[in-house]
Amino acid sequence: MNPYTYQKVTSLDAAVMARGAADCFVLAGGTDLIAQMKAGHRRPSTIIDVKTIPEMTAVSAAPDGSLEIGAAVSATSLAGDDRIRARHPALHDAVQLIGSRQIQNRATLGGNVCNAAPSADAVPPLIVDTATARILGPGGMRTMPLEDLFAGPGRTHLAPSEILVSLVLPSPAARSASAYLRFTPRREMDIAIVGAAARLTLGPDHRIVEARIALASVAPTPIRAPSAEAKLAGHPITAGIIADAATAAQSDAAPISDTRASADYRRELIAVLVRRALFRCAARIGVDVPQ
Amino acid sequence: MNRILMSCRVNGEDHTCLADPRDTLLELLRERLQLTGTKEGCGNGNCGSCTVLVDGAAVCACLVLAGEAQGVEVTTVEGLAASGGGRHPVQQALIDHGGTQCGFCTPGIIMSAVALLRENPDPTDAEIRHAIAGNICRCTGYEKIVRAIASAAAEIRS
Amino acid sequence: MNDTGDIDWAARNTVVGKRLARVDAGERVTGTARYPADMKLPGMLHAKVLRSPHAHARIMRIDTGPALALDGVKAIVTANDFNDIPVGATIPMGEAGYDMWMVARINIAKDKVFWVGQPVAYVAATDPHIAEAALDLIAVDYEPLAAVMDIDAAMAPGAPIIHENVVTTGVEQPPHGHHGPSNICSRTVIERGLPGIAMEAAFATTSIEVRIDTAHQGYIEPQAMLAAVDANGMATVWASTQGQHTTEIMIARMLDRPQSRLKVVPLEIGGGFGGKIAIHGEAACVRLSELTGRPVRLVLTREEVFQGGSGPPAAARHRITVGAEPDGSLVAIDGLYHMDAGGLPGLSPGLMMQASAALYQCPNLRLEGYDIVTNKPRTEAYRGPGGIQAYFAMEQAMDALCQRLDIDPLAFRQRNAAVTGSTMPIGTPFPSIGLTTILDHVARHPCWTDPLPTGDMPRGRGLALGYWRGTSMTSACQISIAGDGRPMVTMGSADISGTRTTMAQVAAEQFQLAIGDVHVAMGDTKSVGYSDGAAGSRLARTMAAAVVEASTKALDVLRSRAARLLQADPGALTYAKGTFRQAASSGSEISLAEIMQATLTEGAIIETGVSTKLPLGVEVGAHVADVEVDSETGQVTVLRYTAFQDVGRALNPAAVEGQIEGSVVQGLGWALTEGFDYGADGRLRNASMLDYRMPTALDVPPIDTVIIETPVPDVPYGLRGVGEVPIVPVAGCIANAIARAIGTRVTEMPMTPERVLRAIRQSAS
Repeated sequence: MNPYTYQKVTSLDAAVMARGAADCFVLAGGTDLIAQMKAGHRRPSTIIDVKTIPEMTAVSAAPDGSLEIGAAVSATSLAGDDRIRARHPALHDAVQLIGSRQIQNRATLGGNVCNAAPSADAVPPLIVDTATARILGPGGMRTMPLEDLFAGPGRTHLAPSEILVSLVLPSPAARSASAYLRFTPRREMDIAIVGAAARLTLGPDHRIVEARIALASVAPTPIRAPSAEAKLAGHPITAGIIADAATAAQSDAAPISDTRASADYRRELIAVLVRRALFRCAARIGVDVPQ
Repeated sequence: MNRILMSCRVNGEDHTCLADPRDTLLELLRERLQLTGTKEGCGNGNCGSCTVLVDGAAVCACLVLAGEAQGVEVTTVEGLAASGGGRHPVQQALIDHGGTQCGFCTPGIIMSAVALLRENPDPTDAEIRHAIAGNICRCTGYEKIVRAIASAAAEIRS
Repeated sequence: MNDTGDIDWAARNTVVGKRLARVDAGERVTGTARYPADMKLPGMLHAKVLRSPHAHARIMRIDTGPALALDGVKAIVTANDFNDIPVGATIPMGEAGYDMWMVARINIAKDKVFWVGQPVAYVAATDPHIAEAALDLIAVDYEPLAAVMDIDAAMAPGAPIIHENVVTTGVEQPPHGHHGPSNICSRTVIERGLPGIAMEAAFATTSIEVRIDTAHQGYIEPQAMLAAVDANGMATVWASTQGQHTTEIMIARMLDRPQSRLKVVPLEIGGGFGGKIAIHGEAACVRLSELTGRPVRLVLTREEVFQGGSGPPAAARHRITVGAEPDGSLVAIDGLYHMDAGGLPGLSPGLMMQASAALYQCPNLRLEGYDIVTNKPRTEAYRGPGGIQAYFAMEQAMDALCQRLDIDPLAFRQRNAAVTGSTMPIGTPFPSIGLTTILDHVARHPCWTDPLPTGDMPRGRGLALGYWRGTSMTSACQISIAGDGRPMVTMGSADISGTRTTMAQVAAEQFQLAIGDVHVAMGDTKSVGYSDGAAGSRLARTMAAAVVEASTKALDVLRSRAARLLQADPGALTYAKGTFRQAASSGSEISLAEIMQATLTEGAIIETGVSTKLPLGVEVGAHVADVEVDSETGQVTVLRYTAFQDVGRALNPAAVEGQIEGSVVQGLGWALTEGFDYGADGRLRNASMLDYRMPTALDVPPIDTVIIETPVPDVPYGLRGVGEVPIVPVAGCIANAIARAIGTRVTEMPMTPERVLRAIRQSAS
């Protein structure tokens, strides 16, 4: 590990100021950053520890039902939050899948997002739940759709001087639910070979009002699956429609072969996981879709 | 080489020592404070041998910087003895049920189990396995470890 | 569950046979057990290893100058700093000697490197960060050479040759028809009867070809060691080792250091399983300590352990063909085995091949095996080396034959089972075994008689056998009687299976005392006689024999002192539970404590016990597993697992179960998720515990063990080896269960979800 300066910052202003230094990295849970520093992949000159900044460690509900989740809230805290379990079940699924209990006690959404691994488990749920990123820089606060934040494997569109402060999740519609499934060879610890999140909103007649699908580990960044979504929107929910959407999702992806899996296998899994995630959404809404 | 002064609170005692600023909490414990009960099996959070409690939550000490240890309560296996010098029920149960062989994963397993039982005093076997899924054991096959933790839970409840 | 047949042997003993807690569990659960990485000495330096980045290359030049100039670097060693060990050099270890040239090369490369990660230099510095930085400053000029990364590439005509001096042994006609260096180091053939004719004439034959990826023993503690040479030149090494004496010999040879100037102290070992028999840096640390006058500690990182810093078990490619009559009687077995030795020649596969066919009575067989080098780390042992790979093939071939003949797999095994006296593949008669007893237990057990529970996904039940010969070799101990009359046992070997506890039980039984009255320690190499390492399923049984001998001798000396003190004839005394009594009605008695207190100044009572070449206690097991296969993803869930094993006698059922449970989970790992992924450049692509996937507690079911006891005649307590065979059947068992679930066989190990799904797809098309 190369030498660095560690600094605990207790306010957003102090964080932004410190972030201006060259090669300054933000430390929340550290489960990605510290591992990468030890491997020599990241070489910060300064590390700013944001775990005591109030805006980054709170989960607050607004009157309109939206939830603002601080970027430095641990996965375990989020897993225990009843509002997230009720309104954003895909995210609830995901935060219990990241690593192990030890990792979840430290890992944060901010870290998962900003580390920008294509396999990040929390990202597809945030995308299907239309999350907005709140980003603070020297010029002030800005927002952008979370799904537009990713530039490539390990890279976001955050400027070096910016900090991800929180993620805002709008209140879901009625008759809407989300789900996240991923495939790993072991039951815990592994990086997702494929991850699939889905959110379905149904009308009173079981017609799909809105479908959002996002995939992990099948492209350089987490991606939406527009072909799959197009198969669903406006149609009554049936097993056949779900199967079509699952197959269509395969063509939205560009998986590669690596040490964890071949592209062909990933392609197969996309269809399986999208299908299963959609069925789970329907079940969570309370609608039984005969297989 | 740059040494800096670090202070931390471990097992209820305040410590101050000279550390390398790059130290992780694991190195701080083992090399600076001579608390070698916590082990290093992989160095990047994938084996759980270095599990300690930070403010009561089980974490991998190899992925916590020593600098982050200021102002938190760290608990290691050395801090578990009951008042009066006895053993924690999890420790005793592992002895009684044959839940330790080479012993290298054992301190980490104990800390994960202690964290589990503080939060869930009556866990199912599945919940026990979930709580220690981040602790890799190569010797026991987990069988007697799970029985020991269930037994310790019953002991604590009684 | 524990089944001892008609005789409740454990009831006749007071300590041996009891389910007792480990005597050393207290240290483990309090974190006070000491491993080498926990040790610190004043002035200690930290060592780091410079390793080859190439899979195959000549070393042209090494310049350590810039690194030595770095402030804090105290010494650097390369191959020139060690004794020149020639090819073919061996040390007198074990049954047939041990390849010392191989040991030297896995510790330091000389002139050539044969795998990524092979050590090229060692640095000692005042701080590990400085040592790490020094590695970058050592300039090594390599001439990269073409590398071969697998068995097929190594065997191909025209393949780049790894060792110019290696010519295939065991063949009249060399492979590819040219007499010259080859990557095929040896061929071994075991044959009996007329296998070709018998296979032709067989009513039914099945054939299976399998490939097995390299895996790793997966010990959680990376190699660690501390060496210190004192002012008189006496070197001490504190080691995590399976054998302190064998470690001492290896260090002594590498350094040309007399053994009287070297002591190895075994500390706790955080798992070995065969991977910590050879030294991995100990000699280098002694040399660095000699050069610097300071203690030197080396602790490998996990990445180093996987990326060439230790020896994994062998990858393999096997083809097994079996033939039988309509009633399932075997008539022929034909096996073709290829073992991937890694970067240096390995062992003849003879032992492994013979083990693979041993459990079946079959009049005609031909087993042909090859040892092949590739540019990967030189392999080392892992619990019955070669066994689980061979049985992955053999048990699937047998199971496929059962399916072909529509015969129950258990009935098939019962029909063909080897018994005591049946002829083993190399022609000798089987010593006492209880395979048919094991199979009877399986037949009656709910794991076999319960119907397979149904579910939404395909499910199947598999059966597989396992056999391992084990070894005996030499074990020594020493017993001294303390001033309070209690025996103190020093073992000459390391404890990897709970032998401190089981030997305490044996000594307590011999002295008729409680286990708490006996102290057992591992001895350093200067305080107890030579013992081979803890390996080869040999230690508990042979050390028990040594303890029995030493106990008997100590009690004889105590008896003679008691007799003198009681003024009686030694033969007239009876001994029971720590007291000698006069048989006659005078009733005078004397306790061990009283004897010692009365005779303290007469000299110590220290008696040795040695066991060499104890009759073998071969190991046999049978496993049954139920699996569920997710037919859309290929993921396999093991629903139920039961392991039956004949242990001769269980010294301590808890310890025996622990060995079996742990081995089964290791086997499940290699069967389903563990495998090394080497790139074409020779680098391991999954050199971390994230992507080298060892089972977590969530990945395995509860493991049920059934202990069967068919004692070995003429051996103290009738003990068999225990620790190796429980891994041998696992992959074959799971493969057979999967085959029954999905109707097709998976022939690559590990049977990852991707491979299982591919097998499902291929059989559907």
